[in-house]
Amino acid sequence: MHEPPFVRDRAANERLEAWECDSCGYVTIPERREVCKRCGAYPDWNDVQLEERGTVQSYVVQQRLPDEFETPLPVAVVDIPQEDGGEPARVYGLFTETDPDDVEVGMEAEADFRTMFDIDGLPVNSFKFKRPRGDRL
Amino acid sequence: MRDVAIAGAGIIDFGELFEQSFDEMAEQAFMNAVDDVDHGIEPGEIDAAFFGTLDIANDASSGLGASHSTGLFGIPSSRVENACATGSTAFRQATTAIRAGQADVALVLGAEKMRDSAEGLIEGAALDQVWRGRGVTMPAFFGMRATRHMHQYGTTREQIAKVSVKNHENGAKYPHAHYQFTCSVEDVVEGPQVTYPLNLYDCCPVTDGAAATIVVSEDVVEEYTDDPVWVAGSGLSTDSLLRGDDEALVGFPASTQAASQAYDEAGITAEEIDVAEVHDCFTITELVTYEDLGFCEKGKGGEFIDSGAPELDGETPVNPSGGLLAKGHPIGATGVAQINEIYEQLRGEAGAVQVGNDPEYGLQHNAGIGRNATGSISCVNVLSAERP
Repeated sequence: MHEPPFVRDRAANERLEAWECDSCGYVTIPERREVCKRCGAYPDWNDVQLEERGTVQSYVVQQRLPDEFETPLPVAVVDIPQEDGGEPARVYGLFTETDPDDVEVGMEAEADFRTMFDIDGLPVNSFKFKRPRGDRL
Repeated sequence: MRDVAIAGAGIIDFGELFEQSFDEMAEQAFMNAVDDVDHGIEPGEIDAAFFGTLDIANDASSGLGASHSTGLFGIPSSRVENACATGSTAFRQATTAIRAGQADVALVLGAEKMRDSAEGLIEGAALDQVWRGRGVTMPAFFGMRATRHMHQYGTTREQIAKVSVKNHENGAKYPHAHYQFTCSVEDVVEGPQVTYPLNLYDCCPVTDGAAATIVVSEDVVEEYTDDPVWVAGSGLSTDSLLRGDDEALVGFPASTQAASQAYDEAGITAEEIDVAEVHDCFTITELVTYEDLGFCEKGKGGEFIDSGAPELDGETPVNPSGGLLAKGHPIGATGVAQINEIYEQLRGEAGAVQVGNDPEYGLQHNAGIGRNATGSISCVNVLSAERP
């Protein structure tokens, strides 16, 4: 996380902190902006905390990727709820430790803190998703 | 504003063009367009050039690249890049320049050397970013819509596969197509998986190619042709890169917006489109584009292909040239080649893939994405056989 973008985005990447538009309720992560990209207002942005879980909205299973990825790899659009209610944040998420056949639209996914990639040997950490342990098929 | 017409169109055979350099492809497409002008044209009469390329192979430089490959020096020449809407945006910019009186005869040149690098676009999936689609390739980006569309609307895998069957059937008759074979629904659904739910024949090939179009103002059109095809309307729109609205999970909101702009400018509705060349980088892209462009209701793309409407002899033939799936997708050339196909269709010169409904209005559409995220960018051009 030594490079500037990863230092800036640490709260989002490592603690799942997001920002909520107090005009329309849109949740943005990791972008912190002045204008709401959904309603167009210049709102006050509330700091909000996301939960370490989400719901799969859609997904694919990657069979072919650059060498640094293990395939087959499920990749999903995941809605992550806020701890205190309100709208979820919508993100792309990589799965890990999950059989591709166990992934489906609407399923719950746990967020797990992992190393996403290395830059010059130093890790950048954030969250991947997996099917909840008690819920495996 | 002045009206704008197409006076000439040129294309080279798309495919694995190992022997041809980027400049040779572009030059040949340009020469074919010059040769195509009914009453002839001297290259010196061209007073602006718009060069569409993503420059995948690092050959193109700027607008200077178009001058270098065509020999057109001393005129305004610009390179245009707009993701997969690059070629169509170059055409739109040429149209705009003529409407504004900055040019009377403009060249639109699109070219892409996709096959000179082994990695292509897949390295984009190794993006060192946490939230912007690391691990997401092009088939993943589009396949995400397929999974959701099937879940939300009950669209079947077979309906999605039918897009590929239709386009390969057309492509087998289209002389410039990269792939000239036909395939069955079975071939598609049982083929090697690229990215679930998309298989090999759901994906467009990696193709080299170039295409060129010559557009002229109403003031000079008679010097070049007695049978011009007119620009009736154009639209260009973007949708948030990261926001990921619900409608962006099952379609491309930018396409709907761009189409709406183009229809408004042409003074028509979607029902009046007689033939379309749309962005079928993947089967699902074409299926949701039926909906995004208003050819059918949202969620009914599967029924639309089942009905036979987009087939060559259907009510609204889509991708008579075989589309990106069969013809190929050399990004900068793609939109220009689509414009050329609509031009030939509206002149009744499309040969074996000529649609049967005596088309008056034709539509060209590209949709692109930015950096593997949820956003889209789309350009739509509507052409007319009659002066608008």
